[in-house]
Amino acid sequence: MRGEALIRRARLASGLVLMAFVTCHLANLSLGLRSLAEMEAWRMLLTAPWTRGAGLWLLGAAGTIHLSLGLYAVAARRSLALSTTDVMQLALGLAIPPLAIAHVVATATANAVSPGFASNYGQILAVYWSFAPFYAFLQLFVVVFVWMHAAIGLYSWLVLKPVWRRIGGLVIPVLFAVPVLALLGFAQAGQEVLDKLASDPAWKQMILDNVGRIAKVTRELADFQRAAIWTYLAAVAAAFAILGARILRHRRRPLAVAYDGGARAGGRHGLSILEFSRLNDVPHAHVCSGRGRCGTCRVRVESGADRLSAPGDLERDTLARVHAGAGERLACQARVLDEGVAVTRLLPAFADASAARAPQEWPGGQAAAAAESRT
Amino acid sequence: MSDQGMSGWSLELLGAAKQRLEALGLDLARAPEEARRAAEAAHATLMSGAGVRSATYLLLILFIGIAVEWLYWTYAYSPLRAAQSAPALTPLHALRLGLRLLLLRGSGLLLFTAAALGASAAFTWPPHVHPLVVFATLFLLVLRAAWMGVGILIAPGRPHRRLVPVAPRAARWLAAALLAAIFLLACGSFLPAMVESGGVAAHHIASALRLAAYTAAAALLVALSLALFGRPGSRGAAGAARAPLFPRSFPLAMLVVFVYAVWLLSPRAAPVAAILAVVVGLQIGLHDMVYFYWHSEDETAGKPADREALPAIALSLARFVVALAGIGAAALALDTPVSALAESSSPWVGVGLRLLGVAVLALLAHGVWIAVRSVVDQRLSRIAPADPHQPPDASSRLLTLLPLLRVTTAVVLLVLLVLSSLWALGIEITPLLAGAGVVGLALGFGAQALVRDVIAGVFYLAEDAFRVGEYVEGAGNTKGTVERITLRSVALRHHNGPLHFVPYGALGSVRNTSRDWVIDKFNLPLPIEVESEKIRKMIKKIGEQLKEDTALGQHLMEPLKGKLYRVDPGVKVFRCKFRCPPGKQFDLRAAALKRIEAALKEMGLGYAAGVNTVIVKG
Ligand code: FES
Repeated sequence: MRGEALIRRARLASGLVLMAFVTCHLANLSLGLRSLAEMEAWRMLLTAPWTRGAGLWLLGAAGTIHLSLGLYAVAARRSLALSTTDVMQLALGLAIPPLAIAHVVATATANAVSPGFASNYGQILAVYWSFAPFYAFLQLFVVVFVWMHAAIGLYSWLVLKPVWRRIGGLVIPVLFAVPVLALLGFAQAGQEVLDKLASDPAWKQMILDNVGRIAKVTRELADFQRAAIWTYLAAVAAAFAILGARILRHRRRPLAVAYDGGARAGGRHGLSILEFSRLNDVPHAHVCSGRGRCGTCRVRVESGADRLSAPGDLERDTLARVHAGAGERLACQARVLDEGVAVTRLLPAFADASAARAPQEWPGGQAAAAAESRT
Repeated sequence: MSDQGMSGWSLELLGAAKQRLEALGLDLARAPEEARRAAEAAHATLMSGAGVRSATYLLLILFIGIAVEWLYWTYAYSPLRAAQSAPALTPLHALRLGLRLLLLRGSGLLLFTAAALGASAAFTWPPHVHPLVVFATLFLLVLRAAWMGVGILIAPGRPHRRLVPVAPRAARWLAAALLAAIFLLACGSFLPAMVESGGVAAHHIASALRLAAYTAAAALLVALSLALFGRPGSRGAAGAARAPLFPRSFPLAMLVVFVYAVWLLSPRAAPVAAILAVVVGLQIGLHDMVYFYWHSEDETAGKPADREALPAIALSLARFVVALAGIGAAALALDTPVSALAESSSPWVGVGLRLLGVAVLALLAHGVWIAVRSVVDQRLSRIAPADPHQPPDASSRLLTLLPLLRVTTAVVLLVLLVLSSLWALGIEITPLLAGAGVVGLALGFGAQALVRDVIAGVFYLAEDAFRVGEYVEGAGNTKGTVERITLRSVALRHHNGPLHFVPYGALGSVRNTSRDWVIDKFNLPLPIEVESEKIRKMIKKIGEQLKEDTALGQHLMEPLKGKLYRVDPGVKVFRCKFRCPPGKQFDLRAAALKRIEAALKEMGLGYAAGVNTVIVKG
């Protein structure tokens, strides 16, 4: 089970790298609120390091790792019991690569065809705002999607940590401000560029020439781009196919789990207890939506402990962190292998992230269960 | 209204309808061409600086809206989960939870809308874009609100959380179809507005879009009402126990067709027609909807819900509120100040308004009447049925007053309703009242006695002088058991049978012999030679026996006692007395005498023999 933890770490780390890149990029864009020149001046510091050498490699590696691990996570799922946040994360994450690829390809091509052209904000913005608005639309969507995906991921990781109490008040405003400022800067700088285009014919001609040269190459590159998108779609389809196949394979072996309060939930062999609950609308806390990090889904196994999958390192760590008693498991990690499992939910369904940060304040036991049945 | 006017008016209406249909046909024919041109224009605008700017701002306001709502949810998610996961014990409880959900989710939705709209106001949009954005935001609001509302009301897949009586099988279908219908209706009202606000000529497209969306929505709703309310057994849990009163599906479908037809012929009247249809449709279903909330409890209590006061009150209240809300919405939809409407020259409007007023008054009166009646009936049915010849108990005062209250309420309500309806219909009631005043004066002299009776009656009842079932004696040798109490008189059944009707005014001072207790005394003449102490003890012993071993004895409030009272020549007269509740004294006295007789015989004393002795010697 060490592998599992490693994968999680890698996904998180690559995500953080990507987020750092996007933050730099957006911070640079937001300077457009002041002026195009300011944007250009900071460019060397904020954006340029990512476009060459080690920065480029790091970025490429992080992107590839994050994407493939994301697809792996889809393929490794056992059911489609997703929370709203999960659905949003998945949809945003899946939508980003095809949107971003055009940008990546265009920037790379421009760099190759006329070095120096693409590394000038004024010229790029001129292309976006006047000659090829289509790319601007793609770009805008990428920015918003990427940021939402990143913000949700960062938030749901940080909010479980005790440190959130101190930094939460700082992180949330930043999460809000960065894209808003960036988009405003984009709009402001765009206006500036449009004005310049109207007033400076020579500059306009230079850009037109460059655009013409790039356009020739881009046509050829369109095939490559199309191929890339198709490959990506195929990978996504494969991931979902694996998930579908797993669901179908286990469909033959329906099982049931009994809960406290007389509830029962039906499901398939191999699903986690939490997935049983979610598929059957049984109220069950799951703050980290089944990533095994929050410990709010924990249950006391009343019978059939031997019919659950053995706990892994991740689960043991989390259980220790939340001071779980003997005979307790994480419902999101314990998979049901046979009939006859009965559990008691230890936290009320409305437990929130504070239950992960400060487990001692949420007595997971009869008291909590009683509190729930009272509401 | 003259015949000429009527027919002229109808002709005008038909002419307008024909014109309208022709215009619609023209719109349909011209729409494609116009759409092509509009699309070209839109594409040109989009692929320019203005387009990019609009898209940037649009994404910005979207992001701001989403961010604000997300922030809200980081706080509100826990209460939401609590409200979602709590088990609903009864429909009423489910209603409370549903309202909580509505509040929580509605706040999020409103925050999103407010943030997005507010942010949109801060930007300088390219021309024609801002209205488009506002419409789009509102469109989103309507769709999300519908999604939320339908989810909470019908709760597909969670039968315990359902707030309306829908069969579990039908819930999913109903929810999906309702959502689709609302989506189509929203499309019909928002998309054309958006298209038209774009700055290019798009009148025909808008009209065609509206036609398509509304037609589809009407078709869907007709199909829905026929499919879901048509089959027996699909009327929900609450309806299953009742015999069907009338078909639901057909009127509902007709309502939809009616609204659609009105819209087709005169779009300006459509909102009012739609409101009317919704009000009528709700009134049809309201009984089941209201009783749905009391149904499950009554099943456990084992009594029919129709006897309960609360649902009856709730039902009439709900009917009233629905009607009132409909009127309010119609006034809003007409967008005409009510005062202007009242002054409108069209006779139809005037008559309609007046009838509406009467309807409101009738509803109001009906509501009050239902409330009073069901409360009174419920109390009465809980008290044991009245038997005037049983001794009255604590509830007899209610038994006396409640029917009176019911009748009084009915009369007062009816008078008020008639008078105010006349007033609402525009008939001057002041002269009527004045006339009534003059006539009343004349009558008043004649009816002096009547007034006196009624007033006196009010005081008798207020002072609780007598109740149904009590034995009273009034002035003028009227006595008997109170059998009936009306506003003017009381009916007394004499113990020999005749029934006196005594007007309160003639009742005078009342001697009520049925209150609290009576003391009964009787004499026992015995020969002079008996030992009085022995007799006293004997009587006391009999009193104790009486108290202990007979069913009658338990009524004794003070035991039977006797003592020497008078000594006549040759006779000792003992006086016995006891206290008991009114009406029991006769039986108790008889029982006591029987035992005393037996005891005297045992002691060898002649019962009442002394009297003879006195007479002979004297
Ligand atoms: S859901 Fe967070 S640990 Fe299971």
